[in-house]
Amino acid sequence: MQLYELTVQETVQGVRSKKFSASEVFEASMAQAVACESRLSALITLTVEKGREQACAIDAKIARGEDPGPLAGVPVVLKDNICTRGVRTTAASTVLGHWSPPYDATVWGLLQDAGALLLGKGNMDEFAMGNTCGSSSFGYTANPWDLTRVPGGSSGGSAAATAAGYAPFALGTDTGGSIRQPASFCGIHGMKPTYGAVSRYGVIAYGSSLDQVGPFARTIEDLALVMQVLARHDFRDSTSVAGKGLDFSLAPAALKGKRVALVKDFEGFSLAGPIQEAKKRVLAVLKEEGAEIVEVELPTVARYAVACYYAIALSEASTNLGRYDGVRLGYTTGSSTDVREMFEEVRSQGFGFEVKSRIIAGTCLTDSSRSEEYYIAATKVRALIAREFEQAFKKADFILQPVTPELPAKIGDAHEDAIKGYESDLYTLPVNLAGLPGLTFYVGHSENGLPVGLQLLGPRWSDAELLSAGLVLEGYLGKPRIATGGVSE
Amino acid sequence: MQLGNDEVREAAMEARLVLTDLELERAVKFINNFLSMLDRFKELDLKDVESFRFAEPARCPLREDEVLPFPNVEEMLAESEHRSGALIRVPRIMGE
Repeated sequence: MQLYELTVQETVQGVRSKKFSASEVFEASMAQAVACESRLSALITLTVEKGREQACAIDAKIARGEDPGPLAGVPVVLKDNICTRGVRTTAASTVLGHWSPPYDATVWGLLQDAGALLLGKGNMDEFAMGNTCGSSSFGYTANPWDLTRVPGGSSGGSAAATAAGYAPFALGTDTGGSIRQPASFCGIHGMKPTYGAVSRYGVIAYGSSLDQVGPFARTIEDLALVMQVLARHDFRDSTSVAGKGLDFSLAPAALKGKRVALVKDFEGFSLAGPIQEAKKRVLAVLKEEGAEIVEVELPTVARYAVACYYAIALSEASTNLGRYDGVRLGYTTGSSTDVREMFEEVRSQGFGFEVKSRIIAGTCLTDSSRSEEYYIAATKVRALIAREFEQAFKKADFILQPVTPELPAKIGDAHEDAIKGYESDLYTLPVNLAGLPGLTFYVGHSENGLPVGLQLLGPRWSDAELLSAGLVLEGYLGKPRIATGGVSE
Repeated sequence: MQLGNDEVREAAMEARLVLTDLELERAVKFINNFLSMLDRFKELDLKDVESFRFAEPARCPLREDEVLPFPNVEEMLAESEHRSGALIRVPRIMGE
């Protein structure tokens, strides 16, 4: 086995016991990334020098007999909307130019303190707006299992890098499924934590009441190790919740006697054959483990969640992205003679069309003449959706559902009508509206070699229980493998 | 509700964006499809429904409103193309 193939847990054990050094691990990961990157384009920036410096520091700590941290010597890819001091952070947009933030996001600070090594910054849809990685200003990322297909989005680069063995884990952000959908498309696990469990400080905002940072990994135990580092209160994020003290020690018998629900209102919807097969397989495992299969109703979610989500996300985005004007940072133009003209030039040239159209739509919804009809109505529908989930979780401990209705599409086969593309997010975005945790777990591969994942949802603050359940399922279904889709031949 | 070219162009201007003719055409189509989707809200009686809020606001302690020095002023200023010494110089804002 090569060093880049190790899990987080195996890497930490090896580095701490001096079986190999952090520097050796980093060089192996970097070599794998370099070998694959021309085909995959998972990274916007490869941080060779930064990672090497960090690896040397970990090796020096170990040599001095100091504790190198719970993630000692583990390479990580960060989605490129997570601020890294002194390292270019782009959100995959021209408007940020070559911006190097003067501060670290809290999540990156926590990972550094824990001994992780920065391998690179992952490609993504521009400002996290998309589900294919296709709206990036840096071009497409390919799916490591089939280079002609999308890796999903918006955290597609982080997912593809984890699947291809660049690093044993990565961070993404999930505003409406942007961790869970690419995890499924790339054949790995991905966790969207409860809103408020992980700090958003230093994460470039899209929809602030929906955004949440979470990990990708190739084992459930690795997700738990990373979550143990990330899930803590941060006074710099007013939506970070104090006093939860989440414990990610996993319970081995987590499914016995648990009620796992299927959503009645989703049952009539079209679902690709391999996803239906995966669902049957998981239901058989759940029954064998002693779980009770029940049914819950989510009619408001099924009918209104997509509209509600996009009304809120785009309204928040139109405000959040108002700050990019070329004055303090990022792309700028030199020809303007007044400041308004400068703002218009910078923003019109710096944002891609998908972002511009979402900003304008959000501006329309929050205009005083329309906000009651659209934005305020959406915040009320959101309350109904959250209440519906609360009721459902009185009848069930977990909800099992698809991640997407289809397997990954061919690159370039985008929906002609953007709204049709939005509707494919139905299974992921309700979780963000209600602030719930969601776990995408790997189930297997279809006959044509594409990975298939499913989602397990739980009530707020059930993050550790979800991972415990995922661990049991992984025991039956197997751990994700490093992608062999012709990436490194 | 459906919006015309002028209304979408006006919203774009509010957002400090100038669209090409092709972009405007695509944006109008997108926004009108989007608004049609949102018209579903009219099926619901939302009169007595309160807007969503997370359940745990009281658990989030507010920190003291204390001015703290930012240690990386030089790094921050270095990111601006419009830097002028310790300031950022922008084009004329209003008037002559």
